[in-house]
Amino acid sequence: MGKLLASIKKEFLILINDKVGLLLMYLMPILLVFIITLVQDSTFKLVNENTIEIVVVNNDEGNLGDTLISLLKSSGSFGISEQNNIEPSKIQQNLLNDDHLLAIEIPASFTQNLNDKANGISSSMLQEFGLGEDSITQAVQNVSPLSLYYDPVLQESFRFSIVSSIYSYLSALENRLMIENLYTQMGFDEIPDAMEQQFFDNRIAINQISANTSTGDVIPNSTQHNVPAWSIFAMFFMVISLGGNIVKERISGSFIRLQTIPASFSLVLISKMFMYLFVALTQLTVIFLLGKFVFPLIGLPSLSLPGNILGLIVISVLSALSAISFAMLVGTYAKTQEQASGFGAITVIILAAIGGIWVPTFVMPYYLQQIGKISPMHWCLEGYYALFLKGGDWYLLTPTLIFLILFILACQVLIYVKLKIQNYI
Amino acid sequence: MSAVIEINNVSKQYPKTEELSLNDISFEITQGTKIGIFGPNGAGKTTLISILCGIIRQSSGEIIYYKENEPSVLKSVLPKIGYVPQDFSFFPELSPYQNLMYFGALYGIQKSELKTKINQLLSVLGLSHVIHKKVGKFSGGMKRRVNLAIGIINNPDILFLDEPTVGVDVQSKNAIMTYLEELNSNGTTIIYTSHHMNEGQEFCNQILLIDKGTLIAMDSLEHLLSVHNESSLEALFLKLTGIEYRD
Repeated sequence: MGKLLASIKKEFLILINDKVGLLLMYLMPILLVFIITLVQDSTFKLVNENTIEIVVVNNDEGNLGDTLISLLKSSGSFGISEQNNIEPSKIQQNLLNDDHLLAIEIPASFTQNLNDKANGISSSMLQEFGLGEDSITQAVQNVSPLSLYYDPVLQESFRFSIVSSIYSYLSALENRLMIENLYTQMGFDEIPDAMEQQFFDNRIAINQISANTSTGDVIPNSTQHNVPAWSIFAMFFMVISLGGNIVKERISGSFIRLQTIPASFSLVLISKMFMYLFVALTQLTVIFLLGKFVFPLIGLPSLSLPGNILGLIVISVLSALSAISFAMLVGTYAKTQEQASGFGAITVIILAAIGGIWVPTFVMPYYLQQIGKISPMHWCLEGYYALFLKGGDWYLLTPTLIFLILFILACQVLIYVKLKIQNYI
Repeated sequence: MSAVIEINNVSKQYPKTEELSLNDISFEITQGTKIGIFGPNGAGKTTLISILCGIIRQSSGEIIYYKENEPSVLKSVLPKIGYVPQDFSFFPELSPYQNLMYFGALYGIQKSELKTKINQLLSVLGLSHVIHKKVGKFSGGMKRRVNLAIGIINNPDILFLDEPTVGVDVQSKNAIMTYLEELNSNGTTIIYTSHHMNEGQEFCNQILLIDKGTLIAMDSLEHLLSVHNESSLEALFLKLTGIEYRD
């Protein structure tokens, strides 16, 4: 025990003597989490928050353009900014220059077109019922379209969801006009108020339920993704420090001296693992505390900690041990510090990219999603997603636990084989 | 004098090489000897010393420690062995005190005993004034002395030194050699390699010459000089190993 404590103390002293390295190990992930969360926050807000800011250029000479605008406003999904009497080219220019991502231009003939279309359809229906005369079709074919201008950065899927939403309000408007026309052509003065209101209010509701095993409602946001994601990245980036440390000790001869001392070599490895586990877990704690308490102070969403705290500890320890094992593996096989840091850093970046640290894997092509499953960071992140977004039941954590344990064991076996070949063990 | 190490027919061939680095070497090292292993570059000195203190394994042959008492394998005699490698094998980020505390603890030396030993060692080797300074900032001579201090922290019975004075100033060399003499007078067997022939001639009472992995001579210096009719170790060395380059 005394030998282990002495080894841990030695690792601790070496660590605190490397002030720059220490600063990088703690400051780098904090900066990364802050910057990436700030950058991504607006994107997550765009997707998650209810109000989508849209510029509306209403050129309609009638009143249905205004009706459509009030329908969009009353939906609560859109924040409308009206900018009338603007040329199409100017609309595009404004979109590029200001913060809006979308603009709708309502044509001058909008009311006229809708009325003609509704009139045509209702006449056709009455004719079908044997109550009217043949007169329609021409007006229906020449409806001027609404124009939707969008910022090129806007995702296609998001744009389609906006268009669908506008279609649904247009549809309601058209239906109301059609019924009004039917009423008029059948000799009624006007459609009853109660029925008019029903066109907009009486739609079947859709309950949206998150696939989450917890009772709380945790909304995926930039903090919930970035805090665990970049904490994982920071842990794996220890490859530069720990991998380099192992190569350095091997090259400098301290490993060789250890072979002539009556102490188990695994003692050295265990003490390194212990020390860097401490570093990784304190990194994680610092970042989580920042996410919980500091982020809200700068306008970012606060980190919601999962209910399964034991699960959080287990996943964090296994993630840290995966990162440490990977770093030790690189350090054991690299011949120089440059090899360890170069190969280690590039590998970590690739594993982070395919593992979903930068962008979630579900937006990647199918084959890349499958390749991403070889990345330990993918499984670490899956574990945190299960905890932070899906309620964190143990059965959800099981795949992560299995993969990470296998990964750690594989790394340790490879380390053992190499050290055995080199006669260290 | 009893044999502390008996080397029987030891050979070493490194992987992916055709030549033997050590070829069927046999000899004994008796207790209290100061034996100098000399040979040209690539002769096999470091390989031999590395095998004797367990850093690498021989391809064939046998090494027996303390045959006349309780013959032991290397692992059981490690607490009695000290090793001072040619490279600086310590942690430059730490002070001499921290380095010695770490290596001493690995030998299982009690903390209080260790502190006394460290102070004593650093005082003798002229390092007391830098006991808490980082070793990385020391001069070459000071680093050599720290390297030596770590190798002898366990009061070894057998001490292996691989070029202990390479690249140091005269003062540091003097301090190191004086301390090695003192250790030997207290019963420590010293196995030493060097390229400094004069230093070897003054220090060693046994000379072992190897070339191309083969033992070519082993005896007291006086006897070797007399047999080969030479006046110095350097002249004897050149006579037995030739004058051609070995790079």
